[in-house]
Amino acid sequence: MTRSARTSGQLDAKALARVRREAMRQRAHRIRRAVAGLTAALFATAFLIIYVQLASGHDPALTANAAKRRAAAASATSVESSTESSASSSEASTRESPATGESASEESSGGASAVTTSQS
Amino acid sequence: MHAIDPNTLATAAAPHLFWITSRAAGTAALLLSSLSVCVGLLMGGRIVKGHRAELRVLHEALSLATLGALLAHGLALLGDGYLNASLANIAVPFLGSYRTLWTSTGIIAFWALLALGLSYYARGRFGVARWRKLHRFTALAWVLGLVHSLGEGTDAGQIWFLAMLAAVALPALGLLVNRLLGSAPIPRSADSAPIPRPSVAR
Repeated sequence: MTRSARTSGQLDAKALARVRREAMRQRAHRIRRAVAGLTAALFATAFLIIYVQLASGHDPALTANAAKRRAAAASATSVESSTESSASSSEASTRESPATGESASEESSGGASAVTTSQS
Repeated sequence: MHAIDPNTLATAAAPHLFWITSRAAGTAALLLSSLSVCVGLLMGGRIVKGHRAELRVLHEALSLATLGALLAHGLALLGDGYLNASLANIAVPFLGSYRTLWTSTGIIAFWALLALGLSYYARGRFGVARWRKLHRFTALAWVLGLVHSLGEGTDAGQIWFLAMLAAVALPALGLLVNRLLGSAPIPRSADSAPIPRPSVAR
């Protein structure tokens, strides 16, 4: 192989490498954009599902809170209903609510009452 | 069920926006991390041949997206008026009073994922072989995250959540079991390169 042929071959290889590198860079860019889109879509989908679930009164935690409150109210008003309410209270305590503190449960009851209103 | 008034919808959910954000971000993080584990195991095993550079970019992007979603998951709890969590409560295991064990599992999983994930960018410092051994523990951190979400997650009993999770976590678990049962990873030196470089045609 002559010297000039080898040089042109090297140039071709360099150009080809550059093209491939550029193609890979573009593919990487597309993949990153797709993942960003997927992340946004997953977040938005989960947010919407939870939002609608909560607002329509079907949220697992808030319905448990509402059940607890109903049970407490029932036990406060009559002795007969207190037996009933303790049963539903024990059922409700198996579910979880994020409310922990005093003020938190007050606020939570406000939010949950809006939820139960929307259901009725 | 009666028709729901949009105003009532907004009123009911408005005080819970931070909580909803945290739950949605947690769900997204779980799905993204499962996908990332899938891609990682496909890369490391003998299942997919070729497209290594693309898979690596995909794995990296999914991992970074997972970390972002996990940050949103934790930080959104700081704004939640019901939980009243402090930064220490969401960052230090066994400190908070709310479902301490499950919460701590999630916190430990987050720190492990963060450390093991970001160590990719410093793998040259402590050796690629050592980094690859260390990186295998990412799967353990992911399993801890699964345990956290199923044990503590408010939506853990919901069909939509379980269906979404099963779609991505079961294949990842299958691949993980397949890997643990003996199919050795392909030895490769390309991992040491910080940026994938296409080979020059001969």
